[in-house]
Formats: sequence, structure tokens, C-alpha cells
Amino acid sequence: MRFRLNPVTRRRWQRFRQIRRGYWSAMLLGTLIAATLIAELLINSRALIVSYHGWHFPTYGAVRPGSDFGLDYAYETNYRELKKKFANDGDADTWVLLPPVPFNPFETDLVENDFPPFAPSFTSGHLLGTDITGRDVLARLFYGFRIAIVFSLLLLTCEYLIGVVIGCLMGFWGGTFDLLLQRLIEIWSNVPFLYVIMIVASVVPPGFGTLLLITVAFSWMGMTTYMRTATYRENARDYVMAARAIGAGSGRIIFRHILPNTVSTIVTFIPFSLTAGITALTALDYLGFGLPAPTPSWGELLKQGTDNLESLWIVGSVVCAITLVLMLATFIGEAIREAFDPRAFLFYE
Amino acid sequence: MNDKTQNKLVLIVLLWLAAFASLAAPPTLPANLNWQTNDTDPAFADPNAKRGGRFRTYTPGFPLTLRQIGPDANNTFANYLRANSLSLVSIHPNTLNPIPELATHWAFDPDGKTVYFRLDPDARWSDGAPVTADDYLFTMEFMRSKFILDPFSNNYYGEILKDVVKYDDYTIAVAAADAKPNYELLFQVAIGPTPRHFHKLDENWVKNYNWRVEPNTGPYQISEVRKGKYVEFARVEDWWGSDKRFYRHRFNVDYVRVKIIRDQNAAYSYFAKGELDSFGLVMPRLWYKKAQGRPFENGYIGRIKFYNDVPQSPQGFFLNTGDPILADRNVRLGLAYAINVDKVIRTVLRNDYERLQTMNEGFGDYSNRDIHARPFDIAKANQHFDNAGWQTRGPDGIRTRNGERLSLRVTYYSQDHTSRLVVFKQEALKAGVELTLQYLDPSAAYKQIMEKKHQIALMAWAGGGLTPRYWEHFHSDNANKPATNNITNTADPLMDREIIAYQKATTKEERVRLARELELMVHESAVFIPTYKIPYTREAFWRWIRLPQGYATRTSTEIVEPFGTSSGGLFWIDEDVKTEVQRARPLGEKFDPIEILDETWRVGAQPQISGGGAP
Repeated sequence: MRFRLNPVTRRRWQRFRQIRRGYWSAMLLGTLIAATLIAELLINSRALIVSYHGWHFPTYGAVRPGSDFGLDYAYETNYRELKKKFANDGDADTWVLLPPVPFNPFETDLVENDFPPFAPSFTSGHLLGTDITGRDVLARLFYGFRIAIVFSLLLLTCEYLIGVVIGCLMGFWGGTFDLLLQRLIEIWSNVPFLYVIMIVASVVPPGFGTLLLITVAFSWMGMTTYMRTATYRENARDYVMAARAIGAGSGRIIFRHILPNTVSTIVTFIPFSLTAGITALTALDYLGFGLPAPTPSWGELLKQGTDNLESLWIVGSVVCAITLVLMLATFIGEAIREAFDPRAFLFYE
Repeated sequence: MNDKTQNKLVLIVLLWLAAFASLAAPPTLPANLNWQTNDTDPAFADPNAKRGGRFRTYTPGFPLTLRQIGPDANNTFANYLRANSLSLVSIHPNTLNPIPELATHWAFDPDGKTVYFRLDPDARWSDGAPVTADDYLFTMEFMRSKFILDPFSNNYYGEILKDVVKYDDYTIAVAAADAKPNYELLFQVAIGPTPRHFHKLDENWVKNYNWRVEPNTGPYQISEVRKGKYVEFARVEDWWGSDKRFYRHRFNVDYVRVKIIRDQNAAYSYFAKGELDSFGLVMPRLWYKKAQGRPFENGYIGRIKFYNDVPQSPQGFFLNTGDPILADRNVRLGLAYAINVDKVIRTVLRNDYERLQTMNEGFGDYSNRDIHARPFDIAKANQHFDNAGWQTRGPDGIRTRNGERLSLRVTYYSQDHTSRLVVFKQEALKAGVELTLQYLDPSAAYKQIMEKKHQIALMAWAGGGLTPRYWEHFHSDNANKPATNNITNTADPLMDREIIAYQKATTKEERVRLARELELMVHESAVFIPTYKIPYTREAFWRWIRLPQGYATRTSTEIVEPFGTSSGGLFWIDEDVKTEVQRARPLGEKFDPIEILDETWRVGAQPQISGGGAP
């Protein structure tokens, strides 16, 4: 069966494409997100291809000890040194192809008799310099972005799932259910989120899952309010009454009639929720209550940067990255809002 | 009545009288006491010091109470209070001999447990009342009281110390429970007085005395408290100690304002603006990155690096032998060879710190200098891990044994250690061991470690003391139970015997021999991986802060230190220079830069002093 968009959606999509700034922002952000999926091929200390008695592809899979490539140690091969060694040997059959940025976000690239942070330099290969322990800033920035965006997307999914279900039911059923849940939400949203994180962090160091769980637990309420209102409004419309008159059940009314008509409300919020998720994680990491070290993270880089303002490249890189992502998301959000604006299709005479 | 009965009666009356008299008479001092004092060691203050001015420093948190005893009292701020509460004797910061403080003379009883003190009749409380023997009797009563809610003091004054005896208003004896060599005994029993006229001990004591300023005996007393902002100390008017041999020309500033600044970076900004007078720069990050630039080049702010000679706090990885993986000595040895301390020192720490060789360094004869920490050596690490049965490596390069990965958790509590730990982690991977890093805030980390739930703890014990302590860290009495300092859960019967022998030994030779043997046993058991020591202190200070000849003392841990009878209060403020610097700074006028390096007290180095344009 061919996937067909309904005419309204198609018109919205066209409208979105016409808004150049938002459209290109979406393309750029999409590319960035897609690139993080293959981050290991772009920014990694492991070589893409090693030619040594046949071709080897060490990027994914098990650790390859140095002894695999004729080196005298049993721990993971240092491919940058291997490349230099092969180049010195001058054998045409042995060579190493490194990723564009040949550093991983965890390794400390230290130079004897000099002390990190190192400034950006082409000769060392650290295009954005290193942080205070000698780790590549670009690598940490990129892997940090991957973690932040995955966190944010998961957060968004969970938040919307809970928010939409509860909000929709509140609007649809109304009455006591609505009243009780509203009070519950009021109470719940007064629990200070940061304190909870601090208390939990002092007992167990929060991992990715726990952090996500806690953040979801304290951020699903926002969506319910919008969904509740939207459902109340749609519920009172004639087409819902018509559906009811025909004899449609609650499930059918919610899923076939109300939800599709509230989708525009949800969609316009997505870019902003995405940025909210990223900033939340960054803020937690900055305060030291986020993901445990040495996870690459923007918040941790920001903390390092502000503590070491003399090394401007650290704080500069991360501030630029955050600004860029937040700006892209805002442009997309604006464009979506405009594309979904019903006034674009109405003409008052 | 005949003569005989009359004589009998007289005798009985006399006996009665004698018995009564002996009951009522105060205890008498033993004859032939050899009273000692110290009026020969050199004074170490600078006679050129000027009085006056206000010194401004900072502390990261507002104190939870102004009490020195009881709940919440053991915080950073308490150091300021303790430094102004004198005790019977003090220690000369350069010769390390005892010097008079509140007592002028002391004498040892042959029993090895009791010390007699002659109190200084000049000593006064800050409210003007004389300090007498009764205040020491009250210390015992006070510290043993259940109302103060302070188990440590209850224990110290109840178990470690036995008694205080008053002979007259200015002569007392303090007895410890166990015999000790004289030097150690003297400082163990050198208690401080407690003002009886100020305290009312009852169940509300803790609450009632939270914010009351207790009269003290030291040169400064709290004069103003602005909650959340600052605490100001003022010099006690006509302080009784001003003309004593070791206090002359010291404690020169009139006021010391301790500001509350939570964040170190913010505090540094205050300092750079001239709103604080000095700033500690021991951390390489501060010394190399922050304390640079125009104010230093123009000589407005000076820098000093001063090598001292004090017991090093045992800093390193403490391995919990209660953990199934770490119970194996081979794993512990492997780990010791897989920790690359030298690389961390060479890179992240900028060659600033030095490798700590053993747990107890800097205790003079007591330290065993023949022991050397195990170097980073992958071959040896591999051998020990192989011997322990961790022979196979998983796809991630981590060793495994029966499907279990050789992954160990390191608990730590200082964000500044993260940058060092990531290097340790990377290097340990080469030997096939994974270190997972668990950062906890200090109180949570302390709780975990005290409950012995850690695998590896990266931490340091507060240094100090006169001799190494083994019982609390390694005796089996303290193993496998919460709230003791034996965080490695070491329980070795052989070691227990040595520790008890060490505690009971009364001659220095015997104790030194046992201490060195014990240190070797600690090294052999491989439960502690020493990391680094910092054999110096570094500070920046504004030009108007003037330091004495020799800058500081052998045991100074701070250079510009306002309080502390041992080596505090040596600097002074030159108001003329201050006015001049404040005039010159906006104009960009230059002075000679002040960059001081002092190695007088550097251990194992030839003394040499170099300095440029000392203030």
C-alpha cells in the first residue's frame, strides 16, 4: 500500500519547505543527528582500515591488541602511532586509514613536559584544542551531542506519551477524574526537581536510565495541560458529536477524530522540547549531578570552560555548539508553527 | 582519770585531727620534680613588624554554629576558633621542641602517664577573667558531659585522659590512661581551659550556645557576625600574651575579616580586585593558569612557593579487602602496578607534586624511607593478574574470570580529581583492568566508605599527629564494621600483635622500630596505593602584605596565616605601601615583581634561597 499524506498535511509540508530558514535548519540538524549515528567512523581513535597481512576494519567489534599488527604490547593498538610506524617502514602494503578526527572522547593525548589544556592546532590534530586533561574537545563535543540528543529524544517520547495519554483522558472524561488529576499535577509540579536529583545523586550516582526516569517523572505535566485543553475543545465540536451519534466508541473517537486534530498542537512543541531536553542534561552535568565521569558531556565541558576562562577554546567551542543547536531548533520550531498555523488556510472577507 | 587514759585521749584527738587535716589538705606535689620550660629556642617573628590594618580572607561556607564542640561544630570555620583557643603547651615551628603557652613550666612523673604544669599567672580570658586551675578541672567536667552531644570529646576526655588534679590555683597535673614516651605524652595531655564562668551545662546547652561567643585565651576574638556575609575577629585589647617570648611581634593586624565566598573562582576574582589580601595557590590549575598576568608583572601581587616539612597526609587508593575481587592479594598487587601515578604527575599535575612512597611520610625517624611505592609496570601487573586467575580478555580488552569482568569501582569526592582519574583509567586499561569512576558529594562518599561499601576509595586522611597511627587504620578490631577508619578491612593477626606492641611501647627506639616494621607490612599487604604528596605550599598576596625574615616556618602550611600560635600571625600590613599600590594601579605604574622560592626546609635538598625583590 502506498503511503499517502492527507491533503492538509501535504499542504503544511509544502508551506514548511517554503520557509527557507526553518527548512534548512531542519536539514542541518537532521544531518548532524544522522552523523552521530556513524560517529565512530568520523571521530575515533580506531583506524577505519588497517592494511597488514590483509585488510582489517577495527572500528566496530572487539579490541584489537597491538600484537595483532606486529607491535609488542597486548593492550589496544594505538593506531596513530601505528600509522607513523608503517609510514616510516615504507612498505606499500602496510598502511592505516584513520578517521578525519583520529581521537576518541576518552583518551588523554598528553605531551611530555607540556601541560593541558592544549590550544587548537593543526599539527597536533586537535582542531578545537583539548580540555584540561588533554582530551580532544571536538570529540567530546560530538559524542556529548550524541548522548544529549538521544537523551532528549527519549525524554521527549516518554514525556509526550504520558502527557498525551493523561491530558487526553482528562479532557475527554472530564469531571472528577479531571479535577483529581489536576490537583495531583499541581502538587507534583511543586516538588523541586533539582533537590530530588541531588538527593538521588547522593545515594546512587545517576546513570543514563535513572537520570532519564527522574527527568521524565518531573516533566510530563507540561504536555497534559495543552492536551487537556485541546481535547476539551475538539470534544465539543460537531464532528465529534456526529461520530458519537453514529455510535462510535470512546476509543474510536479519541484515536480517529480527536488525536489527529490535536496533532498540530503536539508537533509545534517538539523542537522546543528537544532543546529543553538538551539544556536540562547540560545543566545537570554542569552542576555535577548528571552523567558520571568520564562520559562526554556539554555540561562538563562548560564547567571546565568557565573554570578555566584563560583557555577560551573550551568554553568557546561548547557555547558555540549549544547556541547553534538551540538556534536551529528554534528556527525549526518557528517554521513548524507557521506551517501549522490554520490562519494560512483561512480567508476572512 | 589517770595519766594513761589521758594520754590515750590526747592521742586519739591528735589522730583525728591528723586524719581530718589530711582529708582537707590539697594534694601535694611530688618532690624532686624536674621542671622544664623553653626560653632558649629562637623566636621566629620579625621585630620590624607594624601593628594595625584589616586582613581579609575567605571561607567557602558560613559556619552552622559558633560552638567548638557538639553537633555541626567540626567544620572548616572551627579552625579559626581553635586557633584562638590556646592549650597548655605548644610546639616550636622550627625546632619542634615544646614551648610554653598557657603553662610556663612542665614536669613529667616517672609513671609515664602524668605531666605537671605550672600555669602562667598572666593568662586572661578575653573578658578579663584570670585563667586558673579551675578552668582545667571544668574542661574535664565539660568534655565528659552528655549535654554537649560530642562522642569524640566524651571519648577523648573520658578514655584517653584519666584525670586533672589541682594543686593550687596555678599548678595542675593531667594524667593519661596509658603510658607514652614523654614527648608524645606532653602533647596528648596538653588540654585547653574552658571558661566555667561562661557555660551553664544543661540539656539546652547545644541550642543555647549556638551563636554565643565564648571567651577565649588567644589573640583574637569574634567582634562581629553578619550571617551569610562575614565574621570579623578583632585583636583582644592588651592581650596578655603580647610580650611573651614566642608571641612578640606577632598577630599584628587589628582585624581579621573572614568573608563567606562559596565558589573558589569567585573568590579568586575578589582577590584579583584587591578585596582579599592573600590566596592559596597549591593547585597547579590556579598557580599556572589563574595567577598570571599584569598584576603580577607589575608587582601589585606577589607569589611565593615555600617548601615545608610536615607529615604528609596519606593520599591514595584504599583497597577494600572485604570485596571478593580485592580479597586476592595478587589482584591488589596487579592494581598497584597498573596505576600510573608518574604519568599523572608528569602531565595533569605539571610535575608539581611528588610521588608518595608510603602511607606515613614526614614523621622523621618513624617513617620507613626504605620502602618505595610500586611503579607503573604493565608486565608485572599482567603477571599478578594472571596469577590471580584473570587470564582471558573479553572483546573490550578487559580481563575476565569465569565470565566476570575485572571491573572495579573507584569512589571519590573531589571534582578536581576527575581529571587525574581519567588518566588512571586509561592507563589501567592497558593491563586489562577497568576502573569505573563514582563521584559522590563528600558526605555521601564518606558515608559509603565508612559503611565499607566501597571497592576502592581515592581519598586522603587529614595529616598531622606526631607519630603514625596504625590501630585505627589496620587493626582487626576496626575491620568489617561501620564507622571505623580501617577502610581497607585489614585483619591480620600478625599485624594486630605488632600494633598493640607499638601502642604499648614506651621508648622511642622501640616505637620507631615497630612503626617501620608496620609500614613494611602495610606495603606488603598492598592495600594502599600511594599517589602523591605536596611538599610545599604556594600563595599569592598583595604587595602590602609584608612577610617576616625567612617568610614562614618549617611547619607552615599557610604563608599568610592570621591565626595559630604555632606559626600564624607572622605577617603584617604596611598601610603606606597599600596607599601607594592603590594609587599606582589605575595608572599602570610598575613595581619590582615579587616571586619568591624558598627551599630552606625542603626535605632531601640542599638549602638554597632565591627571591626577587622581597617586599
